[in-house]
Amino acid sequence: MSVGGAVGALSALDPKKLRMYGLVGSVVGIYLGALLNSALNTTVFSFIGALAAIFAVLMGANAVRRVCAYGIGTGVPSIGMLALGMGIIAVMFGLSVAEALGFGLLGPIITLVYAGVFGYIIGVIANKVIKFNIPIMEEGNSDLSMAGAMALLGWSFAISGTLGYADILKDVLMTGYIAIIFIAGGLAILHPFNANLGPDEKQDRTLVNSVMVSGIAMIATGIAAILTQGLAAGLLQLVIGFALWFYFFKMYYKLVKRDAAAVVGTGLLPPTVQ
Amino acid sequence: MNFDINTIVYILEILVGGLLVGIGVHFVPVGGAPAAMAQATGIGTGTVQLAAGSGLTGLLAAGFMMSVTDNLWLILASGAVGAGIMMGSTMLTGSWIYAYAVGAPFASAKVNYDPITGFSQPPYVAPGTVGQGIPTICFVSGLIGGMMGGLGGAMIYYPLYLINGNAALSAMFAIGIFLVNAVIASWNIQGTIEGFHDPKFKKWPFAFRACAIASILLALAAVLITGGA
Amino acid sequence: MDAFSMGLIAAMGALATVAGASEDIESDVGSQSNPNSQVQLAAQVGNPHRIYNKAISGEPPANALWAATAAMVAYTLITAFQMPALFALVAGASVAALFNGVFSMSAYFGRNSSQRRFNQWVYLDIVRYTTPSIMAHAWITSFCIATISYIMVYMLPIPHPFPMPIIALIWGLAVGAIGSSVGDIHYGGEREFQNRQFGCGLNTMLSGQIVRKAEAGLRNSIDNAWFCTKFGGPATGMGFGLTVFLDNWRTTVFDPVTQASLAIAMGIFFIIVMVVYNLYIEKSARRKYGPYPEYKGDIAA
Repeated sequence: MSVGGAVGALSALDPKKLRMYGLVGSVVGIYLGALLNSALNTTVFSFIGALAAIFAVLMGANAVRRVCAYGIGTGVPSIGMLALGMGIIAVMFGLSVAEALGFGLLGPIITLVYAGVFGYIIGVIANKVIKFNIPIMEEGNSDLSMAGAMALLGWSFAISGTLGYADILKDVLMTGYIAIIFIAGGLAILHPFNANLGPDEKQDRTLVNSVMVSGIAMIATGIAAILTQGLAAGLLQLVIGFALWFYFFKMYYKLVKRDAAAVVGTGLLPPTVQ
Repeated sequence: MNFDINTIVYILEILVGGLLVGIGVHFVPVGGAPAAMAQATGIGTGTVQLAAGSGLTGLLAAGFMMSVTDNLWLILASGAVGAGIMMGSTMLTGSWIYAYAVGAPFASAKVNYDPITGFSQPPYVAPGTVGQGIPTICFVSGLIGGMMGGLGGAMIYYPLYLINGNAALSAMFAIGIFLVNAVIASWNIQGTIEGFHDPKFKKWPFAFRACAIASILLALAAVLITGGA
Repeated sequence: MDAFSMGLIAAMGALATVAGASEDIESDVGSQSNPNSQVQLAAQVGNPHRIYNKAISGEPPANALWAATAAMVAYTLITAFQMPALFALVAGASVAALFNGVFSMSAYFGRNSSQRRFNQWVYLDIVRYTTPSIMAHAWITSFCIATISYIMVYMLPIPHPFPMPIIALIWGLAVGAIGSSVGDIHYGGEREFQNRQFGCGLNTMLSGQIVRKAEAGLRNSIDNAWFCTKFGGPATGMGFGLTVFLDNWRTTVFDPVTQASLAIAMGIFFIIVMVVYNLYIEKSARRKYGPYPEYKGDIAA
């Protein structure tokens, strides 16, 4: 699978490359899922939307890593909540406006543009009005906003099975499933850096953690999809999510063993400092 | 989507709601991690988290009220009171812990005398700390902040619901606008604040400007969204 | 107002009290949120320890995730398979607890291996016996909150207009905010630093010098839960219980359609009572404990 292959080379990805992977991967994935679903008149390809969201989450997790390395004084969680707060508005705006204009399929593009511009403006506000003077604040916030929006959109698509605004409203909003996407997406973006915070944090370990958390989110969307798309499509998503989670949890544990001072079954405090 | 005078009113309401959230955050006495070790005055948690907890409780109350009436004042008051109750019970039970588990008298290190009760503060500040607990001035300030947050949440929810008539959509949207404004305001505070008597409170015009820009952009997007079904 | 809805409100208050208490104990067993900054600091100032380090995020987002997961699964089972509500809520809480276990473990592994240069080891036995305890408390929290949401949407005479998972999300954020503001002080202000003088906050000089040894052997996080259950947990429960109960009680006793202003006036009355009670606590603490003897300024006590 392409995701598995990509992670092996994640050790020192620079943000530009990761942003490109994130944007292209998520947009192409969402469109691919939507086209396959509508062309074959089925919903089993909705899981592609959930996979596409993982690319966006990777980009967002890396942006959190870069912005929070400067120390913003309010902790990591607030920035994840900001990403999703910006994202949810961008998603609903994009889908609604695309529907109103008569080009339903343009939704993801409008979402992406609005999210990028809005995130950039928030970054400018942070630097110019609140006087943070963090050099990467603009692009970091723009990345975060786009990542939040695309993750929300990908998982919303995974639950509803189409990109139609009315369907997303009915399947994702009215049922309340947006709540789980919102918070699971937020944690997928903020948890990896928060969980690996410390002087010896490594990029590959953080990113593997974010894929693992996305797997968990995919299990959740799979359960939700059982109601909206039926047992087959839902279970497929659930099983793929579980497999992703399992594979990347093992990989994460391997990286922990590589990075930790020692992984011991049991024992007293380290001998040098007792 | 027809653009008329009502749309402008809706945009203004969302803007005012966003500003209320942004300024309300400055009133909430948060001590961050140090306050959890009774090392600083205020509530021992982060700004965004507490503002979100209280403001969204207010949103629940306002949403409930809106389902049975369309009187703006009742909805706003409901949101404010719901948030105030949450903030009040949080600070009250927090006070129990400071008084009966840590065993420390309440004191603020930012002022010499509590402006409301007139109690002297420095003799009660433990050595090596910058105050502890929730003195009356912080309690009142926190209530004002919490109620402003709830009011702001209700103020955002009300026009959204009138535009799209969809409670779930409006609620998620209000949560989104709320979080953006709360995070911007908390960046302005940079961690901890004791309330409106804190010198840091004078920084609020920065947050006012920042939240105004962000809220206008969000409001413009929000009024374009239809309720679909 | 009828007896049935009054009973439901009472049940919601009771469930909220249990949820608040278990939420706080969950965060103490796992050492989450603000007091965890000292656990994190301990290794950096040369005190490696055997305490869990569950930095999932701030408590509010984490608890919002557990509560929303439980509500989401329960809603799906109730709507798609017509399952009885109680079984559906139990199943939902179980899924939430599994999610919690994964997040907890990944945070413990991650934080400790990011402290390689301070020689902080990863102890697998701690993972094995503390994680189930964390998950159990998360199960109670998410079950109670999902049940509250269920009651608000399906059982009260005037149902709440928001869908069940969104209500659970908001209550989850609220319980996390209360847990990190109330109960954590008992853990951070008292339990982590029992080796210093009682009756004051933590002196900044002692930052990171947490208690690492127990009555016998090394202290672990289950010892901390034992301590915090005595006061921090119940106080958090009271905080969340009061929030849920008072907020819903006033709109049930007073009909929100015809007596809305009375319901709001009742809420303002509660708030004023809280201000007065806090003033009483402040006064009695000042009278009983007195000023600190080290104080050398010229402002009279």
